[in-house]
Amino acid sequence: MKIPSLIISFMLSANIANAAPDRVTTIKTTVNGMVCSFCAQGIIAHFKKHPAISNVHVDLTRKLVLLEERKGAAITDQEITDHIKKSGFESVKIERVTEDFEKAKAN
Amino acid sequence: MHSHQYLQLKFTKPLKTTSISLLLAATTTAHPVAFEGAYQLMFGTAGDVQNFEFYRSYSAQAAWGFHAMHFEDHQDEIFTGLQHNWLLERWNLPSAQANIYTGLGAGLAGETGNATSPAAIGFFRADYETRRIYSALDAKWIESPDLSRGIFSASFGVAPYKADFDQLNTWLIIQADHVTGMEDEIDIIPKVRFFKGPYFLELGSTLSGKPVINLMIHF
Repeated sequence: MKIPSLIISFMLSANIANAAPDRVTTIKTTVNGMVCSFCAQGIIAHFKKHPAISNVHVDLTRKLVLLEERKGAAITDQEITDHIKKSGFESVKIERVTEDFEKAKAN
Repeated sequence: MHSHQYLQLKFTKPLKTTSISLLLAATTTAHPVAFEGAYQLMFGTAGDVQNFEFYRSYSAQAAWGFHAMHFEDHQDEIFTGLQHNWLLERWNLPSAQANIYTGLGAGLAGETGNATSPAAIGFFRADYETRRIYSALDAKWIESPDLSRGIFSASFGVAPYKADFDQLNTWLIIQADHVTGMEDEIDIIPKVRFFKGPYFLELGSTLSGKPVINLMIHF
């Protein structure tokens, strides 16, 4: 009886760990090659279509793509990398922070 | 009249020089492949030539679409065809981007309303840009039974300020064009490039005073 209970509790805890956080997360993605706003329009177009993303901002000076996750939703690092690639660029670093999206934009 | 003779009469030497130089000015604008899923609409007019291109980028490395050119002179001439563009290599650097593109197209050329002569078009392009410096080299080739020319272009531009993503971007560009097999002349085209969001506009003039206008939109 103990072993099935352990398996069930392990599965439940693993599920909780993988679930989207119940708060808004800001994601800072460092992207190489972003030198032209006309050419970087694809970044906005691709991320706006993702159901987990509520806000996108491109910062050419800091070479950052800022993403705001919807409450209770999540985007994986692999999805971020793929979206950047489909837009013609290369992501080199993905960082998840608790900083407010608007604050991260202004910094 | 046989189509071969007809085209020979139409493409007289001065007309060829003018038309192809201006065609080049109207077509060397920006990246021939956009982002995956993008539609790219381009229209350019330079003196006696109008250029229209509509491409669908089905990946970030390849696009295909429709290409049309209209030449206004004693007689109106038109080229229409399908074209495929490839991004052969891209270097995404921390503060710069460099690209190599190529493209091939096939279609029909001739007098407007009677364009029945087979024609091919191809190009090779290399560019390098930062937020302040833009440079590009283009080689284009146009082939039809009565017309075979190589067209070369070099562009260099500077941005007077570093524009943010949401701001209006401004570039001052100087372009030099050369057409092989013609008089040994180089056309110089100073132009101003603006873009904001998915909208792109170029305004310029040849040194002989012919206006150059290019419009582009991504969606």
